[in-house]
Amino acid sequence: MVPARRFPLALAATALALIASAWTPPAVATTPLPPAPVPTVIDIAVIVPITGPLALEGMSQRNGAVLALEQAKAQGIPGVDLRWTVLDAGASPETATNAFAKGVGRSTIAVAASIFGPHMLAFLPLAAEAQVPLVTVSGTARITEMGIPWVFRFFPADPTAKLAQARYAAQALAAKRVALVSQSTAYGQSGRQALAAAFAGLGVAVAADIELALGLRDLSPIVAQALAAQPDALVLQLHAGPTALFVKQWAAAGRGGGPGRPGPVAGAVPIIAGSAMHQPATAALLEPAELAQVCAETGAAPAADASPAVAAFARDYRAAFAGEPDGFAVGQYDAVSMVVAAIRSGARTGPAVRDALARGRHAGAGATYRSDGRGNMAHDAVIVCYDGRSRTPTVTMRYENVAGVP
Amino acid sequence: MDLPVLIANALALGAAYALVALGFVLVLNAVGAVNFAQGDLCVAGGFLAAALAQRAAPALGPWTGLALLPVVALALAALGWAIERLAVRPLAARPPVAAYIATIAVGLMLEHALAGLFGAAPLGGPALLPPGPGGTPTLTTLGHALPRQSVAMAAVAGVLLLAVHLLLAHSWTGRRLRAAAQDPETARAVGIPAGHLAGLSFALAAALAGIAGLLLSHQYFVVAGEGAGLMVKAYIAATLGGWGRIGGAVIGALLIAAFETAVGAAASPPLAEALLYACVLVLLLVRPQGLLGEPYGRRA
Repeated sequence: MVPARRFPLALAATALALIASAWTPPAVATTPLPPAPVPTVIDIAVIVPITGPLALEGMSQRNGAVLALEQAKAQGIPGVDLRWTVLDAGASPETATNAFAKGVGRSTIAVAASIFGPHMLAFLPLAAEAQVPLVTVSGTARITEMGIPWVFRFFPADPTAKLAQARYAAQALAAKRVALVSQSTAYGQSGRQALAAAFAGLGVAVAADIELALGLRDLSPIVAQALAAQPDALVLQLHAGPTALFVKQWAAAGRGGGPGRPGPVAGAVPIIAGSAMHQPATAALLEPAELAQVCAETGAAPAADASPAVAAFARDYRAAFAGEPDGFAVGQYDAVSMVVAAIRSGARTGPAVRDALARGRHAGAGATYRSDGRGNMAHDAVIVCYDGRSRTPTVTMRYENVAGVP
Repeated sequence: MDLPVLIANALALGAAYALVALGFVLVLNAVGAVNFAQGDLCVAGGFLAAALAQRAAPALGPWTGLALLPVVALALAALGWAIERLAVRPLAARPPVAAYIATIAVGLMLEHALAGLFGAAPLGGPALLPPGPGGTPTLTTLGHALPRQSVAMAAVAGVLLLAVHLLLAHSWTGRRLRAAAQDPETARAVGIPAGHLAGLSFALAAALAGIAGLLLSHQYFVVAGEGAGLMVKAYIAATLGGWGRIGGAVIGALLIAAFETAVGAAASPPLAEALLYACVLVLLLVRPQGLLGEPYGRRA
């Protein structure tokens, strides 16, 4: 309650307030302001294996995708509220399809999709139904050979990567006989077929063609079989753990590098491994000397490449995740960056993003990407080799446009 | 690669499998239930060894692996004892299937906890022996250059298997363990604390699994999620040797490793695996009690 002696003051203040509220300035600009534009909500789903046997590769994918999205968010896209969700595809196609159902909604315009071939094969019909493009680093050749125009691969497909691997063995190492060791999974079989075709084309004999199952620990029987074939070079198409196991046991058999024996060794047989070997986490399992005779193919090797674009990506990746990036991370980063570029150019729906990916050209950190008409975007490969003194390889050979895409 | 190297590697792997299988049978006999977490306990031992080795290697030098053996064994023993007290003993009055489910749940929780703690990448554990003169990875024995780590693995596992045999066959605790396994009701009636002995069995089984994990982690690395595969190996070893028979589990594990290596070298590893399971099926048909027979005739 207002005290009686202050009542006149309060009354005056109220009157002034009423007058002030009733006063309107002279009409200078009468045009009403347009309502603030409501930003278009755009979702990108990141559905990759964060658990299970491909979790290492899946985490690289996840980190690459998230880095690209965080950078895009920080820079801002006019008129767009960019959002993303990360879901675990797990180990089985069932888990992956459940994650797809959960993560892909009306506002989803692209999916950063699993590296695991069986996941991708399960995603393809779902992506066609939902009309969202899948951007992935899966190497399984079949995913772009099924005539489903919703998948884009930002890592060299087997026909590209394996051709580079075979060329390095045949041309740089002058191998006439090779022993081929592959995983008995879809990934291993896909690469094995591409390698066998490449070696046939190059006139190199596959003296031993050995398959091994995931989970096998003692690889000495495999080493014995490979040695019996007397190859000039070993060619591996294995997942990360088995690759490290094989290199270790090959070195222990005295045919590779080994403690105290860095550099070329008389009687040593070099190994040209698949992309799993270039991952820093794989090299970390081995002593530097055990890596002495080892090379690997990959789409890009950010930990080993000093080119400015790759180095900038590697610096940002290390700052964000306190770890070393690999080729899968840079491939997925470039894939999502190309999706973001499409959004900046006005794409607001899945089909619009798909068209931009199918027709566009993107100079990414790891490579320049363009579709071959089937969704294969990466056409370059590099060979990295270890010198036996450190776990960081150097880029030994670059193969550009391996498959001759126009 | 010569035959002695293959034999040394098979023996080393078989001996590590035998430690896992031995622990499996100890628990089976103690509580009459399959411990489905045994493989994940082995993985836990491997991760613990790899993590401790990263910190302790500068101080312990080339003997890090051997020095960490008792540490890993004690830590895993405590974990095994806790599993029995918290997840298995409260279900003692329930049908055995409840204990099975409890150990499956514990195994899954362990698997995900390990993946969360140590990440998805494989890790390498400490070597048991330092490299030889000039950094050579081999040990010349009887004119053959054998892999040093394989020889060390087989030797350590062999000593432990002998120690467990002596404990069970010639100690007061071992006799009480065997009595409780053979007839738990009568054992309780004569005052043998079957509950405490079950806890002891879990602790011993987990310690053996942890040591196996350490032994495997250097040569074969360790990765979250591989516990199920180890568990299957232990299960088959127990089935081959005779359900519940301790010596049978050891023999079964050694046979599995020898079979995988021999057939793998002669033909291919996938064929070796397929043939192994085919042989197990045949054995179950013609001799369901296993090679040594079931000691108490109470298959779980």
